[in-house]
Amino acid sequence: MALVTARNVTKRFGALTALQGVDLDIRKGEVLALLGDNGAGKSTFIKILAGAHSQSEGELRIEGRPVSFSSPRDAAEAGVATIYQELALSENLSIAENVFLGREITRRVLGVPFLRSRAMRERVAELLEELDAHISDPAAPVGSLSGGQRQAVAICRALNLNAKLVIMDEPTAALAVAETRKVLALTRRLAERGCAVLLISHNISDVFEVADRIVVFRRGRKIAERERRATDPEEIVSFITGAHPDVRALEQANL
Amino acid sequence: MSALLGAWRNQPVLLVLALLWVGLISAIALFQPHILNVYTFTGILQFASILALVSLGQSLVILAGGAGIDLSVGGNVSLTAVLTMMALVAGLDAGWMPLLCVAIGAGLGLTNGILVTRLGFYPLIVTLGTFYIYSGVALALTGGSAISGVPTWSLTWGRGSWGVIPLPFLTLVLPAFIMAAIILSLTSWGRWIYAMGYNERSARLVGIPVDRVRILLYTLGGALSGLAALVSLAWLGSARPNIGVNLELESLTAAMLGGIAIFGGRGHVFGVFAAVILLVTLKTAMLQMGFNTVLQVGVVGLLLILVLLADRLSQHRG
Repeated sequence: MALVTARNVTKRFGALTALQGVDLDIRKGEVLALLGDNGAGKSTFIKILAGAHSQSEGELRIEGRPVSFSSPRDAAEAGVATIYQELALSENLSIAENVFLGREITRRVLGVPFLRSRAMRERVAELLEELDAHISDPAAPVGSLSGGQRQAVAICRALNLNAKLVIMDEPTAALAVAETRKVLALTRRLAERGCAVLLISHNISDVFEVADRIVVFRRGRKIAERERRATDPEEIVSFITGAHPDVRALEQANL
Repeated sequence: MSALLGAWRNQPVLLVLALLWVGLISAIALFQPHILNVYTFTGILQFASILALVSLGQSLVILAGGAGIDLSVGGNVSLTAVLTMMALVAGLDAGWMPLLCVAIGAGLGLTNGILVTRLGFYPLIVTLGTFYIYSGVALALTGGSAISGVPTWSLTWGRGSWGVIPLPFLTLVLPAFIMAAIILSLTSWGRWIYAMGYNERSARLVGIPVDRVRILLYTLGGALSGLAALVSLAWLGSARPNIGVNLELESLTAAMLGGIAIFGGRGHVFGVFAAVILLVTLKTAMLQMGFNTVLQVGVVGLLLILVLLADRLSQHRG
């Protein structure tokens, strides 16, 4: 059974239809890549999953249960973690503090939530070890980390929330080649742990390296869904650009 | 020497302030040795009490970011003192005085907080407006004259001391700073304040209730101004509508001198405490040495720029 089931998800902003009747399944343990040109509706779709927008029509189910998110917090409670492009890290806080930010391990004394810093550092050290992230000191400030290491911290954060679905928005967009390799490896490891990963990317070669399945959006619709093994970069690019005969036929029919 | 270097790297502001203070005391010892006695020390702490409480509130508001600033603190202190005394004169039991001060101060702070977070006004403008309203109302209610009639039991506290330490300093200022330091560095609330002060967007994304924390901090800042009003009543024995004059600028200076970054998310209250002591020592010394007030203000400005420079230099190294 799919972890996330989206049926006929539609989003309108006034007269503009940003997303039109999207059906999509996301399975446990897979990396599903979501591709599309600017304005294709990718961002709108992940914002609905992440609780930042609510859909105008359609239904979302997680593990078979219908869900409706009115805030990112709702989505997080339901097991959806989003790693935004700008990562949402506080550079003035340490790695461990960032991983636990907003959900610290505390001991209440007279109602005041005192931090259990050591417990948090140990847990983060474990997670970093598990991810093989090559970061030794969870007490180091995030401001001192490289782009790839910051992605690792953000991924730790998602793992620590026991996320079932991790949405990664352009995780490699600002990274050098070696760093990109590492983040892609982290992405794979997330899926191997049983998470479903929804990867948004513009980089076709990254996608072909890491994804199990590929979905293409165009002008607010899902126009293609392929197993990675059953397709190639050229076909995917032709879907994105609209040059593929199927897309042309579809767009003719909808005019 | 290496200890000094380490301190420079970790707490440059604190070190610079401490060195300046030692320099200042040496200068006093050299030129005006007769004022270097325990009475002066007690006097400095007594004068520092009001500024310390207000500066703590100011620092918390700035630390939480969102261009946070509270220009209304002085008006708050004046109006709280005036309203409290009017209530006592109107017949309210004098035992309510401390609670009333805190409640009125907190209420005035809450007003700022609501205007800033719920209506989305810019803190600088909002608190400039409430500054005029609070201090204007304080003046209008009293016609500019002081209201006397502060209960004598409170004067015993307000003017008393334990050894050389004034009681208001010992019972309000020290506990307030210690509690603030504990909350900021050891609790999740402290982490949230630093996180939202540095990067509000990410703080919201991780689910920190940014607006609620901010309203709370404006309210807390107001309550601290209320406590400062209480100290002024119990010390001076009357409610003066101009008691808060210049507190907004002085508290801002103390916060900046103390290493609170104006954009939020960086700084410690220890630095603010040290800055308050330094500022009051400097003012006392200059007063004793017969500097005119214009020069005093200039020296404070110079000091501010000097400390900012030291902070900038230490950052380049780290």
